[in-house]
Amino acid sequence: MTWTSSRATEGPDQDAADVARVLAGETAAFAGIVSRWQGPLVNMAWRYCRDRSRAEEMAQEAFVRAWRGLKSWRRESSFSTWLFALAANVFRSELKQLPAVNLPMEEITEPAAAAQQLSVLEERRRDEAVRRAVLALPLRYREPVILYYFHEMDLGQTARTMGMPDGTLKARLARARDLLRRRFPHLNEGFVAASHFKRNEEVSQ
Amino acid sequence: MSSGTHSGMGQGSNPNPVHSIDRILASDEALAPSSGFLAAVMARVQEEAATPAPIPFPWKRAIPGIVLAACVLGWGAYECLRHVLQNAQQFSFALPHVPAAAESALVPAGWVVLALAASLLSWIYASRMARGTGLF
Repeated sequence: MTWTSSRATEGPDQDAADVARVLAGETAAFAGIVSRWQGPLVNMAWRYCRDRSRAEEMAQEAFVRAWRGLKSWRRESSFSTWLFALAANVFRSELKQLPAVNLPMEEITEPAAAAQQLSVLEERRRDEAVRRAVLALPLRYREPVILYYFHEMDLGQTARTMGMPDGTLKARLARARDLLRRRFPHLNEGFVAASHFKRNEEVSQ
Repeated sequence: MSSGTHSGMGQGSNPNPVHSIDRILASDEALAPSSGFLAAVMARVQEEAATPAPIPFPWKRAIPGIVLAACVLGWGAYECLRHVLQNAQQFSFALPHVPAAAESALVPAGWVVLALAASLLSWIYASRMARGTGLF
């Protein structure tokens, strides 16, 4: 899953050309931008709310705001950085109006079995519980986590999207991971899975 | 995905930089937009494009009215103040006698109160601003 980086290298020229056409009055040229970025934006919105229909509504709103604000894209930053930052603002304000999860962190329980004993189904349920627990984190920790994993653990890209220094982002991510680890203590037992994941990651590089 | 970026994250008890939390959150399923998504966005964009630009506020026409209203309000405030001052002259106040030692202590106390009030106001303003950014 490398949409954030691949799209950025795939079509920066197309993005710039489409933006120029839209600003010249050719509204239909915006379809090119939407078709290139609809996947990333819907997925980003999904991570904010974990509700498919709502994610599409939020992504749609982000595209409309992007269309309205295309003039404000100064080409100093890449189109993707500008678009993600704009979308993050839209999603943040949308969720302030109607929070995605009102469940306190304490009420999200970890499945009873230890990590090594989990069946595939139980593991999936536990993984989903962890993902939902992210939505119960305080906003200052929740958003860095959402964007960090959306950007495939690229700290710099996440910091640019959030408009915050790398150090602040690192501190918030560390705190968020501490909170999640406290909620899901069995995850600390998942060394085998983690090292397996690392091996896979190295192979894929 | 660069492992170098997140290796510095492991500040807890887990010595392994690739934590289970990383594995779970990084392997979140990808959601494909529905087939009508592009059309829905473009329909909204076309709708917005077809909507005429909002009519700008007619400042040129409004300025005389605003000036007139300001004059009327100012004149009213002046009359009210004049009336209050006229009535105030009919009463006489006698300030309680304050000893000289207490008076000299009151002046720095006043400055302290003023400084505290200024600090409180700036704290309220700063926290409101910070809340507005959504970062705090």
